[in-house]
Amino acid sequence: MATMTSERSSEPSRGLRALARGAQAYSALFAASSAAPYLSRSKPVRRTGFDLELVIDAVTREVDDVVSFTLRRPDGESLPAWVPGAHLDVFLPSGAQRQYSLCGDPADRTSYRIAVRRIDEGGGGSLAMHRLSQGDVLTVRGPRNAFTFIDVESYLFVAGGIGITPILPMVREAARRGASWKLVYVGRSLATMPFLSELRSLGGGQLELRPDDEFGVPDVADLLLRADEGAAIYVCGPTPLIDAARVLQPTLNPTGSLHSERFSAPPVVGGRPFEVHLARTGVTVPVGAEESALAAIRREVPGVRYSCQQGFCGSCKHAVLKGDVEHRDTKLRPAERDDSMLICVSRAAGDSLTIDL
Amino acid sequence: MSTTKQAYSDEALAIHARDVSFDWTDVPTEYIPGHPYATHFWNVMHLVLPEGERAMADVLGRALPQIDDPRLAEELVGFIGQEETHASSHESFRIHLQENGFDIPKIMRLMEFLMDQVFGDHGLKGRAGEAWFHERLGIYAAAEHFTATVGEWLLDNRTFDEIGVDPTMLDLLRWHGAEEMEHRNVAYDVFQYVDGSYARRVRTALLASGGLLALWLYTSSWMYANDPNVKGSKWAWPIAFVKDTRRGLMPGLKFIFKEIPQYLRPGFHPSQMGPIDKAVRYLAQSPAASGL
Repeated sequence: MATMTSERSSEPSRGLRALARGAQAYSALFAASSAAPYLSRSKPVRRTGFDLELVIDAVTREVDDVVSFTLRRPDGESLPAWVPGAHLDVFLPSGAQRQYSLCGDPADRTSYRIAVRRIDEGGGGSLAMHRLSQGDVLTVRGPRNAFTFIDVESYLFVAGGIGITPILPMVREAARRGASWKLVYVGRSLATMPFLSELRSLGGGQLELRPDDEFGVPDVADLLLRADEGAAIYVCGPTPLIDAARVLQPTLNPTGSLHSERFSAPPVVGGRPFEVHLARTGVTVPVGAEESALAAIRREVPGVRYSCQQGFCGSCKHAVLKGDVEHRDTKLRPAERDDSMLICVSRAAGDSLTIDL
Repeated sequence: MSTTKQAYSDEALAIHARDVSFDWTDVPTEYIPGHPYATHFWNVMHLVLPEGERAMADVLGRALPQIDDPRLAEELVGFIGQEETHASSHESFRIHLQENGFDIPKIMRLMEFLMDQVFGDHGLKGRAGEAWFHERLGIYAAAEHFTATVGEWLLDNRTFDEIGVDPTMLDLLRWHGAEEMEHRNVAYDVFQYVDGSYARRVRTALLASGGLLALWLYTSSWMYANDPNVKGSKWAWPIAFVKDTRRGLMPGLKFIFKEIPQYLRPGFHPSQMGPIDKAVRYLAQSPAASGL
């Protein structure tokens, strides 16, 4: 610890020693004694139902390349409640996982709706989704919310293209609450923008449709200026739109708040395969070029500690016993880099590493 | 041992650490201007919490391999990173205090001793070791109830803005408070998952409340008594405590006595503490955390 520079006292004070004896007596009674199990009868609470098997009840073509899916439980029972902004993890038949925002009505407790735009040059997830049909069963996880809709008096919503999906239930909820709202919906052309008729049926606020083919590429600052002072601004769309909004918002509307969805860890870029030897576990794990050491290690040691997966929180720091490290974190101090690494992002500089795990 | 099974009836909140950083260069050590006691009261977060939060992240992290519920497991993973970033952010201000002439190794030795001798594993193994692990989960679950309620207090407080608390410090305190609200259920749910004993919950809540209160008052009064800029009696801190509490710069003793009974209700769950909209809103406005 950096602050432990001055002299250490030789002995803890009498008070502290008494405290330590008290703690020992406490654990002797409540943990180690034969009476301990009777003094605290375990009654664990286990929760279920984060993973769900849902059946596709309807497939609807919203616009040319966007279809929506209505999902229900096979038994028709009610689903977990959600707040606008929530998404589902969908496990595709290939084993890949995609996240889709819930775009139905949160007041409907028996069905979920997601919408997927087909992206021909994407990773294939949207193509697999577009091959599904009514009656197919999907394994999903959630709902989970990383874009929570909060209760305020005034909102500005900015949606770009398929980014309308989490925004649509937000607008519906704002309209239901009688809040002041404006939605600016941008897209390539009206024909490519889904859910227009649903949006037009919502009252009380201002709907502004802004297709690029009529209005040109939008100026983000100009869009943000539509917000009332102190409004909550929810933005969902292409990354450049969100990034620009994040930069501009604090000066444009200092009492307002900018909300955008938080995404998971970025993929590994420019990695080479290597091996990591876990000294205490006694196994050697191969790490592929496109996965992190953490992902590979978790196959062997599922309980290994980690958190941010982006190399800044430091939860997955491990001592390196052998091998050179290509450090990719933003957390460790230079001195720490000599003998430790964050396994979520950093890799071997050579062909192998041995870590104290 | 009887296990209760309950299906989730609502959505999960995604919990992620945020890559924050704070620049302390021009931040005065008396960041609550004119209120040295209140400043030292909040200094406890910089002095004492980093070790406590890391120890907590460690103990809770040990529960991870036992947790079969993917929702609680991912919440715990997010929780660990948030606690780590809290610890390192407060530690960065502790270094700033040290660089500005505060002699804090005595407090550091105290924390080291407490974490090792009082909250450590006591050398217990087997069944006793497991029971002591459960007991510590209970202590941390109760402590997290207090950090969540203090977090809400920090977000609601307007006096800080009125008297001009240093904005970087205010952002640190409120960002931390907001994330405490955001992850308020995690330590509790881990305790319930692993143990769930009501007697243990009551016992550890009383212990955690008394312990936190004693540690907080001891540390802040020691800092106050050893602050060269404080004029007058070194032992006048109780007067300063009452004054600064009345001024709205710290939650008072009433606060702790109001929170305990809530937590002790048999059917308690942190989700009953009301919406966390103010935390979500703050995290979207915080200079350090917004956009992360």
